[in-house]
Amino acid sequence: MIRKAPLYVMLALGAVITTFPFFWMLGTGLKTYPEAVSPTLRFLPASPQWHNFADTFDAAPFAMYFANTFFVAALVTVSVVATSLLAGYAFARLRFPGRGVVFGAVLATMMVPFEVTLIPNFVLINRLGWYDTHLALIVPWCANAFSVFLMRQAFLGLPEDFFDAARIDGCGHFRFLAWVAAPLVRPMVVTVALFAFLGSYNSLVWPLVATGSERMRVVQVGLMVFSTGEGMRLNLLMCAAAIVILPTVALYFLAQRHFMEGSLGSGIKG
Amino acid sequence: MARIMVVLAAVVVAAGCGGPKGYRPIDETRVVFWDGQAGDVAELVKEIVADFNRDRTGPPLESQFTGNYSDIYRKVLSSLQGGTLPALAVAYESMASEYAEAGAVVALDDYMNNPEAGLTPAELADFFPVVIETNRYPAHGNQMLTFPFCKSILMMYFNKRVLAEAGIEAPPRTWDEFLAQCRQIKERTGKAAYAVSVDASTIDGMIYSMGGELVEDGKTLFDSAEAVRVFGVFQALGEEKLGYQIPPNSYDDRVALVGDETAFMFRSSRHRIYLEEEMGDRSRWGMAVIPQADPARPATVLYGPNIAVFKTNPEQQQAAWDFIRYFTSPEVTARWALGSGYLPIRKSAAEDPRIEAFFDEWEYNRADFDCLPFARSEPNLPGWQEIRDLIETAQASVLAGTLTAEDAAKKLKADADAVLAAAASGRS
Repeated sequence: MIRKAPLYVMLALGAVITTFPFFWMLGTGLKTYPEAVSPTLRFLPASPQWHNFADTFDAAPFAMYFANTFFVAALVTVSVVATSLLAGYAFARLRFPGRGVVFGAVLATMMVPFEVTLIPNFVLINRLGWYDTHLALIVPWCANAFSVFLMRQAFLGLPEDFFDAARIDGCGHFRFLAWVAAPLVRPMVVTVALFAFLGSYNSLVWPLVATGSERMRVVQVGLMVFSTGEGMRLNLLMCAAAIVILPTVALYFLAQRHFMEGSLGSGIKG
Repeated sequence: MARIMVVLAAVVVAAGCGGPKGYRPIDETRVVFWDGQAGDVAELVKEIVADFNRDRTGPPLESQFTGNYSDIYRKVLSSLQGGTLPALAVAYESMASEYAEAGAVVALDDYMNNPEAGLTPAELADFFPVVIETNRYPAHGNQMLTFPFCKSILMMYFNKRVLAEAGIEAPPRTWDEFLAQCRQIKERTGKAAYAVSVDASTIDGMIYSMGGELVEDGKTLFDSAEAVRVFGVFQALGEEKLGYQIPPNSYDDRVALVGDETAFMFRSSRHRIYLEEEMGDRSRWGMAVIPQADPARPATVLYGPNIAVFKTNPEQQQAAWDFIRYFTSPEVTARWALGSGYLPIRKSAAEDPRIEAFFDEWEYNRADFDCLPFARSEPNLPGWQEIRDLIETAQASVLAGTLTAEDAAKKLKADADAVLAAAASGRS
């Protein structure tokens, strides 16, 4: 126990450093505005302003923003998992001409910065008549190279014998994928789903560009109501951010075990 | 990010030459207005829009929060490529200039001069000349390509406690006094007097206040004696540790002023409403015109975006103009000024009882309004958006001590002239 003490101290220190911004956010969210922007570094509010939570929801229709966000993020997550499973399996298990080249091309899309594709994507959804619709928020993000890569790596880790055995039993690729391979790589599926959900949930620029009306807005865009060219309502912004972050924290705790397994399996821990 | 925006603008303008001949409304059923106001001010915009929609037929006008001004710029550039545009959007002069290069902006002269739906000469004369002038674009035949919307002025804010602590009774009226007071504050309190927010408009306003100009005959005047004096102020601030640079896009200068850590802040007049709340006590602070080379001939810079109307269809364009006329009517401009903290842009607003009461409430409430007659606009030339980045780089370099005032001015002049030349050759 004593021998491990330095380790525990370091871990505790790491935990404090990691969680400090979160608690700072909560503390600031409960301050008055002058207190929040005061240069004096005070962690806790002099008197907690619980009404800030109500004020946050009064400032913008956050209930609608949340509903939109969950709807969009859920569909994006399901789509990404489906496309990644199919593409990842194909790249890992199917033999077809040009497989390496196609996989390289898929990976190459990861090298293109978001800013470069912003205008072409916007032009495309505009010409399809999808501007200011849910389709604009969902369809462009239904597949991504990183998730395909992760799933491919997971499928490559499965012994070839599994597939041979299934094939002897009369299993085709789809049945093998659905009933054998996918359950075996569940930690990675959860990881991909988590990344997809968080990516969609946290996206700001694309929803801002691809939508216009309030009924299409998502929570991250909603947070912008507290900022202006001359300043921000820091206490309300922190309060809103604390609320907005809750679903992602809850999701992480729910999927923690699978996420850790998936991360370790893919070598992306860090 | 700024570089990306410049590249985007160049791509759009280049593509605009062979791009869509005409643009369509982004929404046929609504007159879409892309705005950058958030929070309470956005609510005020919505109320004004609702009042405007109440008594008219046709598609309703809808204001849509589209992020900050850079976000709006980026979205308009993207929309230009898509061939669909909102009916109107807020835009700085430099941004509108880029949109005009792509042939997307409606010149408002015909709408303004329309005998039925335009402005009478008396109404036009009621606007402060500078707010109209800034919307005329020399590179586009001096046409009125935008109309004033959120106008504010570069002001000097001062902390009375820190000044008193240093034994100073009144804020500086000249730049020499300003530097002398900064030194006195440093000497007596040990505090840096000024937290500098690097900003091109502040430099432009300071050059005006020194009696200088920014552009002449298509070339910049950043190597003028006035511009060198401006950079000299920052050189002194940096070398003598009288000031320090705050992180970009932060409001740490305001935080420092509120916390009695600095004595001065140079920001737009709209920061008053934030300082009111943050300072709490009005006796702690004040605001005034920025220091001058010659207080008898003052000048400062006019801030704030305007509204651009896009080439969509005649019905939407007319609706957009009708809204602009309504929004800038004396009654609404007074309501807007009181609710938003922006300046009333019409002279007659000063006679509005609500504005009069506001002016009487506190001695500094009309400080910015009193600057309007001598406020100057920044150049609205193609390429100026890029030049703004160069100005800020020069300011930061001098403050950090990596360039002297003279060298920074010389380099800025060369780089900015190259940008103007490139923009001009791109148009020919």
